[in-house]
Amino acid sequence: MSIAAADFPLWAAILVALFLLIGSSLTFLGALGLLRFKSFYERIHLPTLGTSWGTGGILVASMIFFSVTQSRPVVHEILIAIFVTVTTPVSLMLLARAALYRDRTEGNDTVPPMAPDTPKPEPIVHD
Amino acid sequence: MNSETMLMMLIALPFAGACLAALFPPNARNAETWAAALVTLGAVVLSASLFPAVATGTPVRLNIEWLPTLGLSFSLRMDGFAWLFSMLVTCIGFLVVIYSRYYMSPDDAIPRFYAFFLAFMGAMLGIILSGNLILLVVFWELTSIISFMLIGYWYQKADARDGARMSLTITGVGGLGLLAGVLLIGHIVGSYDLDAVLDSGDLIRSHPLYVPAICLVLLGAFTKSAQFPFHFWLPNAMAAPTPVSAFLHSATMVKAGVFLMARLWPVLGGTYEWFWLTGFAGAASLLLGAYFAIFQRDIKGLLAYSTISHLGLITLLLSLGSPLGAVAAIFHMMNHATFKASLFMAAGIIDHESGTRDMQKLGGLFKLMPYTATLAMVASAAMAGVPLLNGFLSKEMFFAEAIETHADSILDTAAPYVAVIASAFAVTYSIRFIHAVFFGERPADLPREPHEPPFLMRLPIQLLVLACLVIGIIPAITVGSFLHIAVVSVLGADTPAYSLAVWHGLTVPLGMSVIALIGGALLYVLLRHYLAHCEEGPPYFRRLKGQRIFERVLVFVSWRFARLVEATLGTRRMQQQLRLLVAVSLVAAAIPFYNSNFGLGLFELGQIDIPFALLWVIGIACAVGAAHQAKFHRLVALILLGGAGVVTCITFVWLSAPDLAVTQLLVEIVTAVLILLGLRWLPKRWEDTELGRAPISTKLRRGRDLLVAAVAGLGMTLLSYAVMTRPSPDTISGFFLRKAYEEGGGRNVVNVILVDFRGFDTFGEITVLGIVALTVFALFRRFRPAPDTIESPEQQRIQAATDEERSDRITGQTVSDYLLVPSVIMQWLFPVIIVFAAYLFLRGHDLPGGGFAAGVAMSAAFILQYLAAGTVWVEDRLRILPVNWIGLGLLIAGCVGIGSWVFGYPFLTSYSQYIDLPVIGEIPAATAILFDLGVFSLVVGATVLMLIVFAHQSIRRLRAAKISTTTIEEVA
Repeated sequence: MSIAAADFPLWAAILVALFLLIGSSLTFLGALGLLRFKSFYERIHLPTLGTSWGTGGILVASMIFFSVTQSRPVVHEILIAIFVTVTTPVSLMLLARAALYRDRTEGNDTVPPMAPDTPKPEPIVHD
Repeated sequence: MNSETMLMMLIALPFAGACLAALFPPNARNAETWAAALVTLGAVVLSASLFPAVATGTPVRLNIEWLPTLGLSFSLRMDGFAWLFSMLVTCIGFLVVIYSRYYMSPDDAIPRFYAFFLAFMGAMLGIILSGNLILLVVFWELTSIISFMLIGYWYQKADARDGARMSLTITGVGGLGLLAGVLLIGHIVGSYDLDAVLDSGDLIRSHPLYVPAICLVLLGAFTKSAQFPFHFWLPNAMAAPTPVSAFLHSATMVKAGVFLMARLWPVLGGTYEWFWLTGFAGAASLLLGAYFAIFQRDIKGLLAYSTISHLGLITLLLSLGSPLGAVAAIFHMMNHATFKASLFMAAGIIDHESGTRDMQKLGGLFKLMPYTATLAMVASAAMAGVPLLNGFLSKEMFFAEAIETHADSILDTAAPYVAVIASAFAVTYSIRFIHAVFFGERPADLPREPHEPPFLMRLPIQLLVLACLVIGIIPAITVGSFLHIAVVSVLGADTPAYSLAVWHGLTVPLGMSVIALIGGALLYVLLRHYLAHCEEGPPYFRRLKGQRIFERVLVFVSWRFARLVEATLGTRRMQQQLRLLVAVSLVAAAIPFYNSNFGLGLFELGQIDIPFALLWVIGIACAVGAAHQAKFHRLVALILLGGAGVVTCITFVWLSAPDLAVTQLLVEIVTAVLILLGLRWLPKRWEDTELGRAPISTKLRRGRDLLVAAVAGLGMTLLSYAVMTRPSPDTISGFFLRKAYEEGGGRNVVNVILVDFRGFDTFGEITVLGIVALTVFALFRRFRPAPDTIESPEQQRIQAATDEERSDRITGQTVSDYLLVPSVIMQWLFPVIIVFAAYLFLRGHDLPGGGFAAGVAMSAAFILQYLAAGTVWVEDRLRILPVNWIGLGLLIAGCVGIGSWVFGYPFLTSYSQYIDLPVIGEIPAATAILFDLGVFSLVVGATVLMLIVFAHQSIRRLRAAKISTTTIEEVA
């Protein structure tokens, strides 16, 4: 389903380009940060740039492009958005937990120790 | 009804009856007997009504093409000999069915008995009527297998199991020999057709492969007919129910061997090699069988050895190479079947009525069951060869042949003496049977109080004994014409003049008969007291038991030898197995490389696509990194492996194969998860200590493995390089690209190939996938993890310890807290993934996707649930029945395929059309999409089943750990 560049309306082209730029530059920034930050806990934050608005921008661009070229709403990119935005926090959360656990077991002093033992709160009894 | 149809029905009727009989309820004894009796009676009538067609002298033939390119056809052929045998089989079958009604106890599984019985009759008729040697071997094997089932009918008894196994092993080996022999004959003649083979006797006898061919064919015949040295399975097969012994081990199955010998006698017989092989086996069986029979305590054992002896007599007759010998052999096959079947039935009655078959315990039954005793006496007299009974006639013919000189040798000179001695033995054991069971003192301690059996149980014996008498007194009038057409059909123009008269005057054979009768009687008088108290088995030979030797050999082959091979050649180490696997495939791939002058082909530099090359640099880095980290950092290696997989997927997209990309991506995901689940079961390793301790030998071994891996990788590279730098040959892909839309109705060519053009292949593949899943499930069901991994992982233990230690936490809280947010999100993803799978499935017909991809995606949804919340939580809430999914998938796919038959098209023909739905628009609706639904369901079922197996390992470990801790606590 190829389409000549001339047939593509200008407003759509600008929109697509804009979203693509936003998405790709955010992703690029995320990748750069991943390279530059030193500790694991800092690095954890960077990929979120790419997986939130980075992916979002590219997907919006894709939706606009294909909706215009096929002259019908093409929205199944939403599935990709859900998958990416929902799953990344999960993996990052698990990774952070694992790193924290490991540092504590190995006794590294880069992480704060566990909170002091506090007695169990009394169960709240509702009348 | 023409005779061809009747021939087909004669074969089909017992098998149909067997299927029907299997469906009866277990306790429907009478209905079952009625059905079986009607089926066998129908077979008798069919055989009998074929007589006019057969009597014309030309065989009745029926030819159905089976595998014509291989010279195989389902061809049936009935000549006089086959007619006589099929009458024998069907008549005795009918009588045994009636007898079984009273013999089998109400507790026995009657449907199983009659189903196998009728199937056996069908298989036996198949051997008799086969017009193609390969078909004959097929039925031959079928009789072996069904006989195994029938001997082992009372499978709860050890001797039944052992006897069944032994007979199957021996006759199975013989069957393999026969198959090889038949293939040799087919090679010599150029056809497996029985008529063609029977016409080329001279060609076969003069061929250099003649001796191997007869050795192999005779191996089959001797094992089946229990000839020395393969005779020992028959006495052990007496653990079968007596009707089975009466039918299989006297009248039919053991006759198959001599039937085959007689059938091929005009072609294979008459040479010196044939004479020695069959003559020796026949004489040895005749003499030893009769001798052993004298010393049996079990009535059925006596009859079994007597059968061996009589079959030896037939074999000996067939060895002589004289047409008169063949006539006598055929005649004796009939006579033996009649009297031996009736004797077995009589033995069954005695067993049934008195509760024992031990002749030392029995005695004096004549007063209690005079009818049965009289019948058994007449049949025994026929067995002993007393004049005016049918056994006498064929025995006289045998004596007459034995004194003639056929092939001048020791064996030929000894034949008359062997014949007389064996006949004397036959007289001795016949008298012993009668005297020990029916006369003498009546013992007080019989398990049951004997009395006459019901009339219908005695009727079959009465009919058979009547036949013995009638044939014995007026042979020419009763069986003369039937015997004649049988003899003519075997011998053709060589048919000699023979006489069926009872009285031939004072001849040498008559003298031999008299000597045998008197000698045998005297021998019994001498042995009487010894036999009344002796041990089981003949003196001197008692220790030499064929059964024992057989078991020794089996133990050696299947246990000691196998263990030895396993100990010396086997290994439990994965590394060694992999090393061997890689090395062998390396060599296997290198040979064609070397033979066909490997060249690198053309390669033009300068076409490199920079981004694509960079992508591959990343992929290569990931793969190398994975290999490097695999030993000590498995999780890292797995992640890097995922990276390499993603690069592969992108490559597929780049090269315009989105379908492959989708499938590859999903497969990558599921594989990664599977390995991730497996990682937990691997032992933990520490880099420093291992490197520090590694001795030289270990380093050498690692170096060698590295070398093997590198060479294999290099070979793979060269291979791919050689393939990719050549222009692709003209394949059928062009055809698929052109026809996919117009004939398959889909734009996604890959999917159309899978579900339409190659639908049958896919059907086979999903079946295999289902089998694989079930196998994995079955293997893992009994699997327990290695002892060093059975304990909880370190992390869990530390977490549990922390939870115990701190007062503000309860045990298990850390894990559930850690996983709370992720698991909720993962659970939310369940419906999203289902939508995704549906999307993949629906677009599959025209765009990348399809049932397979959707199935894998769907199973990912299940994996995620297991990962998020744990096996117990998921299975409490979600009823997953993967086996049903598998079955449903196969059923849908099969039904869609069969559906095209309804419209008169071949299996799995697809029909496609577009349906216009409101709102949604035009959607493709091909029957192929239903087939794809089957694929989807099966893939989901298979994948989920395997995952569940893995998931359940964790529960299993927990349970085992719980048990061990509770026991420790109890001890403490």
